[in-house]
Amino acid sequence: MNSHVLAQALVIGVITGAGYGLVALGLVLIHKSSGVFNFAQGEFGTVAVYTLYRVHDKIGVPLLPAMLVGLLASVAMALATERVIVRRLFDAPRVTLLVATAGVSLLAISLELWLGEARLRFIQPALGRLDRLSVFSVQVSDQRLLVLAALALLAVLLGLFFSRTNLGLAILAVSQEPVATELMGISVRRLSSFIWGLTGLLAGIAGMLTAPVVGSFGPGFLTFNALIPGFTGAVLGGMNSLPGAFLGGIVVGVAQSLAVSSPAFHSIPGAGAVMVFVLLLAVLTVRPQGLLGKA
Amino acid sequence: MSAPGGRPSAAGWAARGAVTAALAALVLVVPALRGNVDVHTYTGAVIYAIIGLSLNVLLGYTGQISLGHQAFVGIGAFTSAYMVSRQGQPFAAGIAMAVVMGGLQALVLGAVSLRVTGLYFALVTLAYGTMAEESLFNIQSLTGGSAGQPAPKPMWFTTDLRYYYLCLALLGAVLWIDWRLMKTKGGRALLAVRENPRVAATFGADVKVYTLMAFVVAGAFAGLGGALLAHNDTFVVRDLFNFQLALVFVIMTVIGGLRNRTGVVLGSAFFALSGYFFDKLFKHGLSIPGLKVLPKEYVPIVIGPLLLLFTLTRHPGGVGQQIRPLQRWLRGRPFSFRDTHDAEVRVSDVRA
Repeated sequence: MNSHVLAQALVIGVITGAGYGLVALGLVLIHKSSGVFNFAQGEFGTVAVYTLYRVHDKIGVPLLPAMLVGLLASVAMALATERVIVRRLFDAPRVTLLVATAGVSLLAISLELWLGEARLRFIQPALGRLDRLSVFSVQVSDQRLLVLAALALLAVLLGLFFSRTNLGLAILAVSQEPVATELMGISVRRLSSFIWGLTGLLAGIAGMLTAPVVGSFGPGFLTFNALIPGFTGAVLGGMNSLPGAFLGGIVVGVAQSLAVSSPAFHSIPGAGAVMVFVLLLAVLTVRPQGLLGKA
Repeated sequence: MSAPGGRPSAAGWAARGAVTAALAALVLVVPALRGNVDVHTYTGAVIYAIIGLSLNVLLGYTGQISLGHQAFVGIGAFTSAYMVSRQGQPFAAGIAMAVVMGGLQALVLGAVSLRVTGLYFALVTLAYGTMAEESLFNIQSLTGGSAGQPAPKPMWFTTDLRYYYLCLALLGAVLWIDWRLMKTKGGRALLAVRENPRVAATFGADVKVYTLMAFVVAGAFAGLGGALLAHNDTFVVRDLFNFQLALVFVIMTVIGGLRNRTGVVLGSAFFALSGYFFDKLFKHGLSIPGLKVLPKEYVPIVIGPLLLLFTLTRHPGGVGQQIRPLQRWLRGRPFSFRDTHDAEVRVSDVRA
């Protein structure tokens, strides 16, 4: 692999991985507060993309308001999931909840297949130019730059939210010590809705940022594109640390991108999926506490 | 008909005999009176029952969940198709190889990954299923790539009806093996492990080994189901084995009722037939004003999650629990709904 291909794989990997990181962030937030693996996380994002497409391309609403509508849709879906299913099964074992969220995911995919048809839809990048900037002599499209800028802004906002606001601190507390938090007079159940809404928002942003980079989307878009890498990233981060999850997502993105562009793997179809699977198995068997976790 | 607790009268036995005969006729005689297309669908239901039983061994007996069962079924299908149409082997060899491959991959995957259980094991199987979908099933020389692989029906069983009876006999064999296995030391140990892994381990049951054994049995059943599926369609394409299918497998087993063989068979058959029933019910498709017509191939994935969420929140025992009164009555006990409202079986037995 020559250095140019390597650099390209790295740059693309980091940007794709940042999308995984956003999904992983939501997965960790929910795992820490509700103790469940949320298999519907990907679909929260896909619903946002479908809504954006409907409102923007079909009805003709300008992009920014349409994006807001899309994000509202994913937040609404996350809140509905929390209210209708998670709250009802609050005391049920966690694997029951896992099956239930997988059911939510399948329901969303089937509705997208039914109402949106099985075909791929193409999406125009918001910014068209490809050659404005190059990193390590790799051309980075404006769309990718936009994604990076959005992610950086989001990281700063999330950082401020979790360190400066009462709500953010309460969520951190719940995610670290749910029982102690309850004893301090913070309602874990009430925060639960808020956390689900927040993860819906994160998934929606992830979907909207990823779709134009991929170039097209179809039923189950974010589930098939980012759910397993997102989980793998979260596991890499030890399933309990928010920065760890985000970094884990980036590691997965880079590993996957290297596998896809490496000549050694050219003969293997689906090298990216193989890489993610191997990475997941390796972390779970060798270092289940995650890369950053203490043994 | 009879005093509560007493033996049924002669009329009572006659009624029970009549119901049993009617059920047997439904399964054995009705398909003989229908056209080939219908019989092909019924065969699919029988095969789904085998797949449901496979998942029941894993989910019901060990409490571990597989979200990648489409890979196990798909590998069985491609193995048998490859053996028969590329290697020129007889059908029996194809099926046997599919069973072996199904068990073998479960052994390898389980040996590596069963040190993690619960949520993490579910995640590993999900990633495995996706990996199989994107990588294994795309290996041109083994699966025929996007063109698919032909899988002719076996000699003696070339008509849809004969093949239906063959699958029915194999379903019977799977049910029998399942029943016998649960009576062995390993089966009883599994039940103990599921009730309480720590107590079982204290009494000397090796939790990991028995869980792995159950996983291998589940893989072998799934391989068999996949092979039968391939030869039923006489063609196998990779697009069939997707994530949605894996979820339908889980859903049909949970709705059927974990650890209840009759329930699982009924739940699985219902999902295999749901598109067919839907077609009979709405001749021109279900058209709700303002919405698109619902095509019948989407029926299982639209109603499945709704039924699943209903089952999880309201009736954790699934179909198996609802039919308990009928089963008891057929065995010569009085008909009563007593004991059936308490959840005898819960999905919640699945442990994290």
